[in-house]
Amino acid sequence: MLAHTLNALRTYMHGNGAALLPEMELLLFAVGILVMDRWVERDEKYWSPSLALAGTIFSALTLWMLQARIHNTGDFTAYQESIVVDSYFLFFAALSLAGTMMVILLSINDPAMRDVSAGRFYALLLLACMGAMLMISAAGLLVIFLSLEISAAGAYFLTATPRFRKRSAPAALKFMFASALGSALLAYGFSLLYGLSASTNIGQIATTLNRRQNLAAAIALSRQPGPHAAQMYELIQRRMPEALHWHPFILQVLPIAALSFFLAGMVLKLAATRFRPAPEKTSWIIAPPAALFLSGGFAAATIAVLVRLLLTTFGDFQPIWSYMFAVIAVAMIALGICATLPGVRRIWPSLAHLPEANLERVLAWSTVSQIGYMLLGLVAANQASFTAMGYYLLTYLFILTGAFAVLVGLHCSGDSARELCDLRGLRRRSPAAALLLTIFLLSLAGFPPAAGFFGRHFLFHELVETGHRYLAWFLAISSLPLAYAYVRVAVLIWRSDAHAEYQPLAFSTPQSIVLGICVFVSLAAGLYSEPFLRVARYAFGQ
Amino acid sequence: MLPVYNYLFLSFALLLIGVVGVLTRRNIVVKLFSIELILTAVAINLMAFARMFADAAGQTFTLFLIAVMAAEILVALAIVAAVFRRWKTPPSPAELPIQRPDERVVPAQ
Repeated sequence: MLAHTLNALRTYMHGNGAALLPEMELLLFAVGILVMDRWVERDEKYWSPSLALAGTIFSALTLWMLQARIHNTGDFTAYQESIVVDSYFLFFAALSLAGTMMVILLSINDPAMRDVSAGRFYALLLLACMGAMLMISAAGLLVIFLSLEISAAGAYFLTATPRFRKRSAPAALKFMFASALGSALLAYGFSLLYGLSASTNIGQIATTLNRRQNLAAAIALSRQPGPHAAQMYELIQRRMPEALHWHPFILQVLPIAALSFFLAGMVLKLAATRFRPAPEKTSWIIAPPAALFLSGGFAAATIAVLVRLLLTTFGDFQPIWSYMFAVIAVAMIALGICATLPGVRRIWPSLAHLPEANLERVLAWSTVSQIGYMLLGLVAANQASFTAMGYYLLTYLFILTGAFAVLVGLHCSGDSARELCDLRGLRRRSPAAALLLTIFLLSLAGFPPAAGFFGRHFLFHELVETGHRYLAWFLAISSLPLAYAYVRVAVLIWRSDAHAEYQPLAFSTPQSIVLGICVFVSLAAGLYSEPFLRVARYAFGQ
Repeated sequence: MLPVYNYLFLSFALLLIGVVGVLTRRNIVVKLFSIELILTAVAINLMAFARMFADAAGQTFTLFLIAVMAAEILVALAIVAAVFRRWKTPPSPAELPIQRPDERVVPAQ
């Protein structure tokens, strides 16, 4: 009996199970943490972060094994082609995992997590990461929708993390409404896609959509009187019966409508990570680790789904979505800049309710601009521009994490860093922290030796190559006000009052590890970008 | 079965009502209803198409959609309850950040 079960398990693991193994390990560890959390004592809470870390490491090792398998036997699918394991999945899943791993390391010493229910935070984090990885590998509409919801539900609760529950619930609520509206619109787009093609597999939908021009003409012909019409009708009935239900005009319009709903949903979901109410002056609205997960690993997975669907299902509509993304990207860049710059807020009344900028706000809102820059890669839409996008996303994840790590360090030492002027004197409190934060900020601003510059440089190059000269210039010129927003903060760090007393600032070991990794990536990817570009190229199958 | 366009119009109308509701209403519970309306529109679409194609995939999708709707409203209500406990009123997200919770005066009922 046991041997039989083991045998069945082994067969499963070599077949469908292998495709889901990284996600299943995360799920297992999340459940384990939840069970453990019930029984461990309050001062033994280090168990939950260690277990969570172990889960992500196991998952990363499994990804490594899958990479070897793909290298030997090529991409494979599972569960009736609704899960795909390919290099694209490996790259983005590794990004999400790395983001989650660093969030776990950062939150070990966070006072917000020294709570009775801290185990829940890590379990939710693992579950949200599991959903994110699942949606990257999904190739069926149903799986994409479900995994988006799994990941989003985890993220809703993460924004309302235990210690902050009372203060962060409004933030979670606002995030939830934007995100839920996004997924509802997305589902509407999916239902239209299903109606067009009678299939929920993104590859099969693509075939139907690609043939829609010919199909519309054929259906129009089959409706006219005459012997040819009857033949045509029979032909369509044999080859593509689902198309016969549609009027030719609808067959032309419905895909565009589906594309619009899909894009509206995805962009809302991407922007939702920013829709938080103004933080009160007295406390954090969301625990910084949760905010970091939202703008790091979660955003990376959402972009991955967006690009995968655009490239497969909507591949035929590339001219249309390129135009759409030109508009979306410009709007996102402009919005991010307006929200981070101090002067604009006074001119534009609807932004006036935002309080005086703090470091977290600058990082959070400028993420909107940075995602806008990444989306410019979809305007150029060639292999090199996708590589540039992957490179940009990879480096941005680490740079942002680094900046957040300094923030968490400040937070842990009992200092709020709520307002920008609290950063004054950081140089005297901890020279290392000041130097690192300056490197991260300058890298985000796009100064040449750091990685932030090269991401934008590659995108600029590709935009010029594909003839989008105006967008390229917009990219270059809009970098200036954004750089000002970052440099303004960086300058503050190096100022100090001569007579003020400053508490020294120390980082715990896990935080130092994260800081080390992040500063290495942000400098190495700039100084010697070839290996990082190679990884990005691998993701897009080159 | 009625021509499928009827179902499409119905679901599109529901979608519009839902989107307008989410964007313009200030009450959180009404906003939640509006999101559920959009998901209902999706379910109607899927069932109509599943019937049209005599295909099970659409029905499966609808079943999952209903489960997701239920789960989502649970999550939402949990968060609304957390807000409600603090503010003693179902507030709209737009109003929330303006006042600090400690200073909020609970209106007499």
